[in-house]
Amino acid sequence: MVGPLASVFYLSTLDWGGILANGNFVGLDNFRRLFRDPVIPVAAANTATQLAVVLPTMILLAFMLGYFLSLRPPGYRILSVIFFTAALFSLPARAMMFVGVYMPNGIVNSFLRAVGLDDWTRVWLADASTAFPAVLVVDLWGGIGFTAVLFASRISGVSHEVYEAAEIDGASHWTKMWRVTFPMILGYVGVLTMLQFLWLLLLSAQNVLLLTKGGPGNSTMTLSYYLYDQAFESSRIGYSQAIGVVLFAIGLIGVTVIRRVLRERY
Amino acid sequence: MARGSIRSPWRRPLGVLAYGLVLVYAALLVIPVYFVVVSAFKDNQAIFGSPLALPSSLGLTNFARAQDGANLSQALFNSVTLTLSAELLTLALAIPASYALARAGGRVADALDRLFSLGFLVPAFAVLVPTLLLAVAAGLFRNTLFLILFYPATALPLSIVLLTQFMRSIPMELAESATVDGASEFGILRRIWFPLSMPGVVAVVILNFLNFWNEYVFALVILGPASRTVQVAVPTLRSGLIVEYGLLSAGVLISVIPVYVVYVFLQRQMQEALTAGALKG
Repeated sequence: MVGPLASVFYLSTLDWGGILANGNFVGLDNFRRLFRDPVIPVAAANTATQLAVVLPTMILLAFMLGYFLSLRPPGYRILSVIFFTAALFSLPARAMMFVGVYMPNGIVNSFLRAVGLDDWTRVWLADASTAFPAVLVVDLWGGIGFTAVLFASRISGVSHEVYEAAEIDGASHWTKMWRVTFPMILGYVGVLTMLQFLWLLLLSAQNVLLLTKGGPGNSTMTLSYYLYDQAFESSRIGYSQAIGVVLFAIGLIGVTVIRRVLRERY
Repeated sequence: MARGSIRSPWRRPLGVLAYGLVLVYAALLVIPVYFVVVSAFKDNQAIFGSPLALPSSLGLTNFARAQDGANLSQALFNSVTLTLSAELLTLALAIPASYALARAGGRVADALDRLFSLGFLVPAFAVLVPTLLLAVAAGLFRNTLFLILFYPATALPLSIVLLTQFMRSIPMELAESATVDGASEFGILRRIWFPLSMPGVVAVVILNFLNFWNEYVFALVILGPASRTVQVAVPTLRSGLIVEYGLLSAGVLISVIPVYVVYVFLQRQMQEALTAGALKG
C-alpha cells in the first residue's frame, strides 16, 4: 500500500510549479506595475463580465436542459449524443469552426442575409463592439450541452418517490425542477459550477488566442489571455506571473465562495 | 394518482415550446459542425458562395493539402503516442493509489483525500510558465517525454478522486471474504476490485483521453515543430492574409475523427457507466 501512495506523492509535487521570479529580482515591482497598467482594468472588466454572464447562463440552462433530458422525451438519446459530442471537439477545433461561422461570408452573416436582415451583418470578430460577445458565445456553445448531459445523468439518479409526493401536491414540472431537483443536487451543481468557473477564468484564454488575440484594440482582452500574452508575446515573464498570482487568488476566492454557497444541504 | 404519464407533457403547449427550444439549441450545435464537414470538400469560392450547400464533389484535395501544409500525419502520430503513454501512466498510478485510499481508513487517508481534492483545484494554466521553465531546466524542452510525465500529474488528482469514490462504493465484504480464502493483496486488487470498478475506470479513461488528446496550450508551448501534436498543427493552416477555410476545415476534421472513433467504441461502456452510477446513487 505504501508504494503506490509514495509514488503518487512525488507526482503531486510535480504539479505545484510555484511562482518563480525571473531574471533580476525586482521585489514587488511587478505588482506595482499591475496598478499602473491601463490594460489591466479592461482585462479585469472583461473577465468579470465573462464570468458574470457565462457562468450563470451556462449552469442554469444546462440544469434545465439536463432535467429535460432526464425525463426521457422522444429522441432523447440522439439529443444526448448531439449535446455531448459538441464538446468532444477540442478548443482549437471549435475555435477554427467559429472562425468559419463568424467570417464575413460565414454562417451567421449568410443566415442574416437569407432572412433579409442585411443590416445586421458585421465583421463579428474584427468589430470592437461585437468581438467580445462573439467570444463569449464560443465559450457558451459546447459547454451548455456537455454540462447538461452531466446534469441529466445525476438527475436520473434522484429517487422518484420525492417527485411522486410533489405531484400529489399538484406540482408542475417547473416547480418540481426548481423546488425538488435543484436543492437535492445542490452539491453536484456546486461541483460543476466550480469546474466551469475555473475553466472560464483560466482556460478560455485559448479561445481568445485562436480567435482574436485580444483585439481589436483590447476589446477581447481577458486576464487569463493577458497572462499568456505577456509571457509569450511580450516576453515579460515576471509580470505575467504577477498576473498569474492575481488569477490564482481570484480562483481561490471564487472556489471557496462557490463551495460555501452551493453545498449539499440535507 | 399521478397527473398523467411522463409522455403527456409533450402534448401540452408549454411542453411543445420547451421541446422546440431544445431542438433549436440542438440545431445550433449541429450547424457549425455540418459547416465544417461540408467545407472540407470545397474551395473558398464555394464556401463563400453557398456556405451551407452540399459539396459538389467529395474530392480529398483539401485533406491532402492539409496533410502537406502542416504535416498532419506526423502530428497525428505524435498525438497518439502522447495520449496513449500519458493515459497508461495515469492509470498505472491512479488505480493502486485509489485502491489504497479506498481501503484504508484513518487520518492519513483523510488528509491525502483532502490533498488530492485541493490538487484538483490547482489550475494547470496558472503554472504554465513555471512548467515551461521546469522543462527547460530538465533539458526536456521540445521533448514529448516531458508532457508524457506532466499530463498524468495534472490528471491524477481528478482521476484519483473519482476512482476512490467509485471504489469506496464497493462493499468491503467482498474483499474480506477473499482474504479469508487466502488471496494476496494484489490478487484481490486484480481479481475483485478491478472488474467491479470497471465503470469508474472507463469513465476516467475517457475523460483523460479527451483531455490529453485535446490539450492545446501546453503542447503549443512545450513541443517543437517535429514533435507537435495535431491540435497545435491544425491552427497553423490558418496563415497569411487569405485564409483557406476548406483547408482549415479538413484539418479540423482530421484532428477530430480519432476522438469520434474512440467515442463510438467506448460509448456503450460510457453510457453503462453513467447509468450504473445513476442507479447506485
